[in-house]
Amino acid sequence: MGNLTNETILIVDLASGETYKEDIDEEFYESHIGGVRINLALFEKYQEEDPIILGTGLLTGTLVPGSALGIVTAKSPQTGKVCHAPICIYGGMELKYAGFDFVVIKGISPNPVYLWLHDEVADINDAVDLMGKDSWATTDELRKSLGEDIIQVLNIGPAGERQSDLAQIILNYWATGDRWGFGKLLGQKNVKAIALRGMGIFDLEDEEGFVDACADLFKAFKDEPSLSGKKGIIDIAAAMGEDITDWLSPIIHRHSADYNCPYPINTFVKYNEDPTILKETDVAETGFYLTDIYGLLEFKKMGLSAEDSCRMLEACAREGINAVAAADLLRKTGKTALNDLKQAVSGLTGPIESPEDSVFSPWSPKQPLFVDFGLPDDGSRNSEWWVRRQAVAYLFGIHPIFILMAPMLTEEKLINAVNLGTGLNITADTVDEAIKKVCG
Amino acid sequence: MDIKIDPIKCIACCACELACGYHWDDAMSPITSSIIVYRTREKKNYFGLMLKTEENLVLARPEGIEIQRIGEVQEGVEADPSAKPIMLRDACDMCDGVDGPLCVRFCPTGALYL
Repeated sequence: MGNLTNETILIVDLASGETYKEDIDEEFYESHIGGVRINLALFEKYQEEDPIILGTGLLTGTLVPGSALGIVTAKSPQTGKVCHAPICIYGGMELKYAGFDFVVIKGISPNPVYLWLHDEVADINDAVDLMGKDSWATTDELRKSLGEDIIQVLNIGPAGERQSDLAQIILNYWATGDRWGFGKLLGQKNVKAIALRGMGIFDLEDEEGFVDACADLFKAFKDEPSLSGKKGIIDIAAAMGEDITDWLSPIIHRHSADYNCPYPINTFVKYNEDPTILKETDVAETGFYLTDIYGLLEFKKMGLSAEDSCRMLEACAREGINAVAAADLLRKTGKTALNDLKQAVSGLTGPIESPEDSVFSPWSPKQPLFVDFGLPDDGSRNSEWWVRRQAVAYLFGIHPIFILMAPMLTEEKLINAVNLGTGLNITADTVDEAIKKVCG
Repeated sequence: MDIKIDPIKCIACCACELACGYHWDDAMSPITSSIIVYRTREKKNYFGLMLKTEENLVLARPEGIEIQRIGEVQEGVEADPSAKPIMLRDACDMCDGVDGPLCVRFCPTGALYL
């Protein structure tokens, strides 16, 4: 393995059932940097075969704070454009540690399959027994059969199998930032899941310099007064002008983080047992992990209680559908009772309002969080700023919500970290060129 | 001086694993870390930390700390969520020769402290 990289692209040819690897040389990294820029280059190279690209940044899975991001790139069935979706929690990191910086999934499998990417090995396995299972059962079954409970499982639920436009790629049991209908694409390709696990190890060019730079970034985050005491989805909502404290607090269990994110972005709620219980109980499914702020707010807008909103998010995740689009369609049905709404999830169809004109998922709040970043109070520059911050996050492998609250993660500091870690000579001009290409 | 753990402050970010792994390998990898974020009960959101010291295995569960003496670790203890079980890893040496244990330095919440 190279510095901060496996130097490997995996090509999965579903039609032939074969996989092979291609090397990435230093010059390609120096000109393309990584992450979303290489994803896009691979999409363009294989576009005739309607590929789905998985990718990571040079900083994904490293000590740089916020290094959680994996990226899915494909042509969105909803917008018809090439778009990018974030894979966070432990999914992005696990892809890289499994031994693959990038994965090209092309063609269509004649039979249902799942991919098992582990320790530089890529298997295409039969998935007939997984078909029809919801995302929770799929994840449980794969973890059981593959023998480890922390395997990360990108998967589609029944919605993806029936190629619904609402279908979302789910990570394990939880919603992702796939607002583009990429779950439908996996369904079209007959890919039920992609399981990830690995024991990678990544060398560093300047070991002490890289780690000291990371430690300085951590310290700057911890010392930032605007972030003091902030945690979880409630404080993010508050920064967005939505006070959900009294509404959600009674069912909150704990807040937790995506890989190496100093801020716990996600919040676990319990509604199948007392949320104050800390000890492990026999209740197998205690509640839901809130990873989609807009999804939660959409169900709140329908007038649902916090518990019912979270139960609806669970229903959407099990089915494998985008909760924001689902809430929009469910609102139009006029249904208000929880059971009626849950039953409607599995048959949900209809026109979906396409996300705004950006190639990056609108899953990330379109504003700074907690810190003003020197932007005008009237929000007039937020949109332009947001696109640039998202592009930087997707380029380097940084969590796209975390980067909205981390002014210490300047482009200069991220370039410096990459250069210290890899020995490459990435420049600000290279970053500008990469972002220009990605954003069109 | 030992590393102390406040498990309720842990947010399962795994920075400690990565920092410790760097101490042992001079690279980015958690595979040899003396500290592991225990996260196998994902649907229950039940997570904590395990730290191997020279004398003890410290199990920092959300409900409290349990210390088992090395050599007397209970058979089948839930200490092995990894392909490399923690009992086969080096014990924490407090990052001997480095400016403070790296796991403490990188822990963003104060869950690890001295």
